[in-house]
Amino acid sequence: MFAEFKHTLRRMSGTILAWGIGLVAYVALMSAFYDSLTTMDSAIMELINRYPPELMAFFGDFVMINTPQGYLDTYFFLYMPLIIGIFSVSKGAGLLASDEEKGILDLSLAHPVSRSAMFWGRWLGLAAATAGMLAFTWAAWVGASMRTTMGLTWLQLLRPCVTLWAVLMFFSALGLLFSMLLPAASNASMLAGALLAGNWLLRGLAQVNKNLQPAWKLTPLRYVQGGDAVDGLRWSWLGGMIGATLLLSALAWWLFQRRDIRVGGERSWSLPGILRWGRR
Amino acid sequence: MHEEFAIRTQGMCKSYGKVRALRGLDLEVRRGEMFGFLGPNGAGKTTAIRCLLDLIRPQGGTARVLGLDPQAEPVAVRARVGYLPGELNFDSNLKVEQALHYLNDLRGNKADWKYVRELVQRLDLDLGMAIKNLSKGNKQKVGVVQALMHKPELLLLDEPTSGLDPLMQHEVYKLLREARQGGATVFFSSHVISEVETLAERVAIIREGVIVEEAEPSHLTQMTMRRVRVRFQRAVDASGLAAVPGVTVVERNDVSAMLQVEGDLDALIKALAALPVRDLETEHTSLEEAFLRYYAGDRKEAR
Repeated sequence: MFAEFKHTLRRMSGTILAWGIGLVAYVALMSAFYDSLTTMDSAIMELINRYPPELMAFFGDFVMINTPQGYLDTYFFLYMPLIIGIFSVSKGAGLLASDEEKGILDLSLAHPVSRSAMFWGRWLGLAAATAGMLAFTWAAWVGASMRTTMGLTWLQLLRPCVTLWAVLMFFSALGLLFSMLLPAASNASMLAGALLAGNWLLRGLAQVNKNLQPAWKLTPLRYVQGGDAVDGLRWSWLGGMIGATLLLSALAWWLFQRRDIRVGGERSWSLPGILRWGRR
Repeated sequence: MHEEFAIRTQGMCKSYGKVRALRGLDLEVRRGEMFGFLGPNGAGKTTAIRCLLDLIRPQGGTARVLGLDPQAEPVAVRARVGYLPGELNFDSNLKVEQALHYLNDLRGNKADWKYVRELVQRLDLDLGMAIKNLSKGNKQKVGVVQALMHKPELLLLDEPTSGLDPLMQHEVYKLLREARQGGATVFFSSHVISEVETLAERVAIIREGVIVEEAEPSHLTQMTMRRVRVRFQRAVDASGLAAVPGVTVVERNDVSAMLQVEGDLDALIKALAALPVRDLETEHTSLEEAFLRYYAGDRKEAR
């Protein structure tokens, strides 16, 4: 399992670095405005009050923008599940299926490594890669907090990063599960990505239309604390998210255990039996 | 317990939807032999090999590899096997050395790196090359190295010399013979008949998912057609030869005849005794002709 974990991390190292640098640059840019924004308190509030409520609903808790929690939420943690989520979904969907489609998995699995070790080694590699990417972000916010009047400790800044990691892993696991069910990694990535984007839109729409609140409560993004986590973690939300992630991953593992490893030319890619059934 | 057979399958079946790739495969490969698995594309060679490694699961029958059930103990089987897939692919972002190190990691670092360097040198491979820049032949060399590097007890090779130039093909043949001399069993599939004829001690011909023949290559060629040219001392009527069991007259004139004979020559020689024979030439058919015979025959037979 360790060999596969190491290999996955090595393969993702370039992506971690590229995303990490991009996120650090973004945090550096956003944090530069913090002090000037908080000193323009009344002017900002006046501007905010003129915004239509529909717009406000999509851009987070503007009323709290002059607090570190609100600022972090509005300028970072509100969007990042969607933005970094695209990375998570595609990496989750391609974790095994992409190598299977390229014929690489055939050779790897012909070595003395069990399917469980292959699966969980790669899964842990992805979890570590996601954590590594967020470590860049966390370090950047710690630096920003020291440079500005934000005054948050490293531990306070770590908490929202942990909640972000959990939701990113949830969507990775969703992509991974779909990749075990659908004919190709690209299909899985597309479906999980659409669900992520839909969930993000529902978050905004549910603020405007209260009828959507029950549906919103059933979605994973509802249970991401974001900037609020600075004041303390909601362990039930975090535990639930991690539990759901593990459940999806365990289902994907179960399917991977039972699957024929396919190579090109052996048979055409088709919908699995359970999905084909309805089309008969 | 020392199992006599390196590979033993009984009634192994595998279907992909409506396509029946294996229809009850019975195969026995003894330990220490060089065994050729011959068949055209789509006959079920790759499917059979991948079932033996638990990459795909047969729907029926049994399989034993080195005495172990590949479905029950896949890791133990793979630890003792070297595999070269027919469709060889590596992570294209790696260099040759990194790819080999990764695969060796998966084996728990069992390979002797000195031996790896020796293989690399013999196959004229550059460890520093990026996989994405390798030609098909060079990728195949990497595949051969990774299959041999841990000196496995059993080599499962799917088209081992695919994409290699003749010089390298011969180097691979040498490596396989050396592995065989070292005690390994070599099981290789091919649709190149000359390769099987050169390497294999025994050969199985697979057609539409079943073994239609299994024997030594020389036996296969002997038991099939052979050509016989007969020249007579004077003009004779040799039309009676067509009535000899197992004999087909390919061409005939007054002073010579070209015959095709199935089985032994006894009946033909007895028939020729009545004729003034000046010269008799016999020519064994090649394994290729034997192979083609199985495929040109009544295809319904295997269905």
